[in-house]
Amino acid sequence: MTAGGTGTGTGTGSDRAAPAAAPAVAPRSGPAAPGRWTPARTATALLLPGLVALLLTYAMPLVWVARMAFNEPLPGGAIRQTLTLGTFTDVLGDAHYWRVIWRTVELGTLVTVFTLLLSYPLALFLARTTSRWRGLLVALAVTPLLISSVARTFGWMAILGSQGVVNKTLMSVGLIDTPLQLANNMTGVVIASTEIYMPFAILVMISGFGRLDPELERAAASLGAGRLAVLRRVVLPLTLPGVLTAGLLVFVLSLSGYVTPRLIGGGRVFVLATEIYDEAITALNWPVAAVLSMLLLVLFGLVVVVYTRLQRLVERRVLGEGGTAS
Amino acid sequence: MTDPGIAAREGHLVLDGLVKTYPGRHGAAVRGVSLSVERGSMLAVLGPSGCGKSTTLRMVAGLVAPSAGRVLVDGRDVTDTPAHRRDMGVVFQSYALFPHLDVAGNVSFGLEMRKVPRAERARRVTQALELVRLDHLAGRRVARLSGGQQQRVALARALVVRPTVLLLDEPLSNLDAQLRTTMREEIRRIQRETGITTVFVTHDQHEALSMADSVAVMHEGRLEQLGSPQEVYERPAGHFVAEFVGRANLLPGTVARVAGNEAEVEVPGLGTVTATGHAPAPGDRGSVMVRPHRISLDAEAPAGSGAARGTVLSAGYTGETVAYRVRVGADGPELDAEHPSGAHRPHAPGTEVEISWDGAARLVPAPTPAPETAKPGDGAT
Amino acid sequence: MRAGPAGRLAWGTLITVLYLFLLAPIIIVFVVSFDDATFLRFPPEGLTLDAYRQVFDNADFRSALQVSAVTASITAGLALLAGVPAALALSRLRFRGREAMESAFLSPLLVPNIVLGLALLVLFAPIPLTDTYTGLILAHLGITIPYVVRTVCASLAGADPRAEEAARTLGANTFTVARRIILPTILPGVVSGGVIAFLLSFDETVISLFVSGQSVTPLPVAVLQYVEYRSDPAIAALSVCLVVLSVLAVVLVERSLGLRRSLRSG
Repeated sequence: MTAGGTGTGTGTGSDRAAPAAAPAVAPRSGPAAPGRWTPARTATALLLPGLVALLLTYAMPLVWVARMAFNEPLPGGAIRQTLTLGTFTDVLGDAHYWRVIWRTVELGTLVTVFTLLLSYPLALFLARTTSRWRGLLVALAVTPLLISSVARTFGWMAILGSQGVVNKTLMSVGLIDTPLQLANNMTGVVIASTEIYMPFAILVMISGFGRLDPELERAAASLGAGRLAVLRRVVLPLTLPGVLTAGLLVFVLSLSGYVTPRLIGGGRVFVLATEIYDEAITALNWPVAAVLSMLLLVLFGLVVVVYTRLQRLVERRVLGEGGTAS
Repeated sequence: MTDPGIAAREGHLVLDGLVKTYPGRHGAAVRGVSLSVERGSMLAVLGPSGCGKSTTLRMVAGLVAPSAGRVLVDGRDVTDTPAHRRDMGVVFQSYALFPHLDVAGNVSFGLEMRKVPRAERARRVTQALELVRLDHLAGRRVARLSGGQQQRVALARALVVRPTVLLLDEPLSNLDAQLRTTMREEIRRIQRETGITTVFVTHDQHEALSMADSVAVMHEGRLEQLGSPQEVYERPAGHFVAEFVGRANLLPGTVARVAGNEAEVEVPGLGTVTATGHAPAPGDRGSVMVRPHRISLDAEAPAGSGAARGTVLSAGYTGETVAYRVRVGADGPELDAEHPSGAHRPHAPGTEVEISWDGAARLVPAPTPAPETAKPGDGAT
Repeated sequence: MRAGPAGRLAWGTLITVLYLFLLAPIIIVFVVSFDDATFLRFPPEGLTLDAYRQVFDNADFRSALQVSAVTASITAGLALLAGVPAALALSRLRFRGREAMESAFLSPLLVPNIVLGLALLVLFAPIPLTDTYTGLILAHLGITIPYVVRTVCASLAGADPRAEEAARTLGANTFTVARRIILPTILPGVVSGGVIAFLLSFDETVISLFVSGQSVTPLPVAVLQYVEYRSDPAIAALSVCLVVLSVLAVVLVERSLGLRRSLRSG
C-alpha cells in the first residue's frame, strides 16, 4: 500500500491525490488483504505506466529547460551551471528579441484573423448542410489536419514561389510583368499558415456550433428578419463561443509554428519558434533558447487569460447568467 | 389540382391546391390541400404524424416553398413572398426561442426588425408579456424558464408584431398533461382577445375539437374533411376521419334503401341497420358508424327491444368508464361500448345483453377505390 | 430559410473557392509530382513517373522512411500500452484526484512542440539519448499518449456503464466483463487512437528536429532539410506518398469504426 503511494507520488503534485485515497480504506482491508483491489489501488496500477511515461517525456524535460533558463551561456556553446537572471535580462534588453516577439504576435494575429474569416463560412456551411455528402465534405475540410505539414508547406512553396502557380498565371494573363514577392516574406507565411490552420479552426467551430438550431433561423425569418439580419442577430451571437475557441487554438498554434515560417519565410522571417531553434541548434546557446521558450510560454499564458475573460463575457451573453442551468 | 373550386375565396387565409414534393422521395408530402380560414377564427389542422400537416403550415409561413398551389391572405397571393415579409406569427413546436436573448429581447426581436421606435417597442413588449402573464419575467434568460413559460414567450413573441395570421405548430406537444389543459384555455383566451386568424397543427383530437372553430383532418398529404368540431366528430366524411377523431365502431355493409337523409344498410351478421347520412343510391358500399359511448348494453331488456342481441366478451374498468367488447349474435361482428362507471353494476363477461344505440348510427361512405382520382378537399365547403 | 437564386449562387461559389484554397497545396503537389522537369514549375509540360523513381532510388529517403516507420510503430504501441489503462481508470473508476489526473494526462497538448523539442534536447543530450531510436520514441511518446487517452475516453463516454453492471448481474466476472463488454466498447477508440498516434509520430517534425541527428533521421526531417536547399518534383512525389499514407490511415479509422457500428446493429 505505502509502496504504491510513493511510486506515484513523485509525479506532478496533483497525482498525490490518487494514493491519498488508499489510507481511507486501509483500516478495513488492512495489510492482511494485500490482494484486494480497491478503486484507488486499481487506478494507481492502471495510471502508473502512463504517468511514468509522461514524467520522462514531458514533466522532466520541462523542468530541465526551465532550469536551463537560469544558467549562463559561455562562448562556444559552453554553459555555466548557476542560478542567474542574467540571460533573461540580456534577452529582454536586446531590441532584436523584442522585434522577434513583436513579429511573432503580429504573425499570430494576422493568421488568426484570416483563418477565422475563411473558416467561418465553411464551418457554417458544414454545420447547416443537409446534403447526403455531408460526411465526405466534413472529411475533405478536416483531413488536411492529418497530412504532413511539411508536405502542405511544400505545396505552398510551389504555389507562391517566383516560378509558382500564382505568378505564372498572373504573368501569362499579362496582369504583371515581374513576379510578385509572395514567398520568403511575411505575406507568404501568413497565406500558407492560414491554410495550414484552417482545418483546426473548422473542426473546433463545427463542434462549437451545436446551439445553431436551423429552427431559430426560421423563427427569426418569421419575425421579419432578412438573411443579413438573421446572420447578424441570431447566427453570429450563437456561434461566437465556437469562433472564440477556434481563435484561441489558431493563435496559440501559430505563435509556436515553426515549419511554415522556416520554409516559406526562407530564412527571412524571424519568429520565436525559428529563433529558439537557431539559438539551440545553430548557435548552441541553450540558455537563451530556454529563455525564449519561457517567454513563449508566458505569451501562451497571457493569451489563455484573455481568452478566458472573453469567453466568460460571451457565454454570459449567450447562455445567460453564467449558467447552463435547466 | 389547379382549381379545386373553393367556394370561400373571401376567406382571410386561403390555401389553394398546395402541393409539396421532395426530390428523391416517393410520393408527395402534401398532395393538394385547399381550404379557407375565416377572419378571426381558429382552424385546427389535425392528423397523425407524417400526414403533411406541419409541411402545410410551413408552406403557409413561407418557410417551405410549395411545389404547386398558392397561399392567399386577404385575396392577395403571397406564395412568392419570403417568410420575413409575410407578416405571419409562428409559434414553433420547439418554441425556437433565441437562447442569447432574455425574455424581453426575444419578444422585441420582431419589433426591432420592423424598426419600431424604442419607446413604443418597450410599451408593446410589456403589453404582450402582460397578455401571456409573464410581465414579471421580462429580464429572465429563456434557458431558465419552464416549458410552459417558454411556450408563453414564444406566443408573445409571435403576437407582439400584430401579424395578420398566427400559426402554431404542435404548440402543446412539449408540455405535460396538466399544463396542456391550462395552455389550451390560455391560447383560446388570447386568440379571442386579439381576434387574430389562427391556424394550429396538432395530432391530438381533444386539442383540435376543444380549441378550434373548425377542424381540417389530414391524412397522407390530403385533406380528408374540413368542418366544425361537431361535424367532423358526428358526421365523418370517411373511414379515416371516423377512426382518427374519436373511437368508432365501423360496420361495413351495402345500402339497401335510401329515404331522404336516412339509409337502410345491410350489415352482414347484424341485419338491416338504419343510419343517417347521404347515400347516393342503393347498392353502394358504406359503413355504419356508432361511437362506443352511444351504445347501451342492457341485460334486463327483453330480446328484440334494441338493435341486436349480443354477449359481453370483456369488460375493462378505467375509473371514469367501463369499456366493453361485445359480440353480436353467435358469430356476428364485435363492437366496442363504453358506459360511465358507477351508474350500475358492470356486466360480467359472458352476460347476454340487448344492444341498442337509439338512432346514433351514421352512414360513412366507403373509401374510394382509386384514391389518386379523389378530388382534394372533398369535405371542404 | 430560403435564399434567392443569386444568393445561393454567391454562397455556393464562396464555399467552392474556400475548399479550393484549403486543398490547393495538396492538389498542386499532386500535379507537380508528375512533371518531367528537374525544377519546380507549373503547369507541367510533360508527364512522367521519374519523380517517384527518384524518391525510391534515394538511399537517404529510404532509410528515413524506415526510421519513421519503425519509430511510429513502436511509439503507437507504447502509447496504447500506457494510454489505454489510464483511459480506463480515468473514465470508469471513482477515486480522489481523478480530475487532476485527467488534466495531467491531457496537459502535454498545451505545451508548444517547439518548447517541448528544446526541453527534450536539454534533457536527452547529456545522457546521450539524442540521435537514437530510444530518444526519438520517448520524445514522440509524450505527445501521443494524450491522444490515445482522449480517443479511448471518448469511446467509453459513449457507452453506458450500466451495461457493465448488467453483465455482472447476468453472472459475468471482472475478466469476462472486460473481455465481452469493455473491450468491444473501446476497440474503435483503441484503433483510432493507435492510428492517430502512428500518424502524429510519423508526421512529427519539430520535436524530431531537436532530438534526431545524422544517424537516426525521420522522414519529415529529411524532407525539411532537402526542401530548404532544393525544390524539385521528387519532393512533390514524396509528399504525395505522405498524403496517400495519411488518407489511407484515415480511411482505416473510418472503416474500423464503421465496421464496429455494423457489428453492433447485427
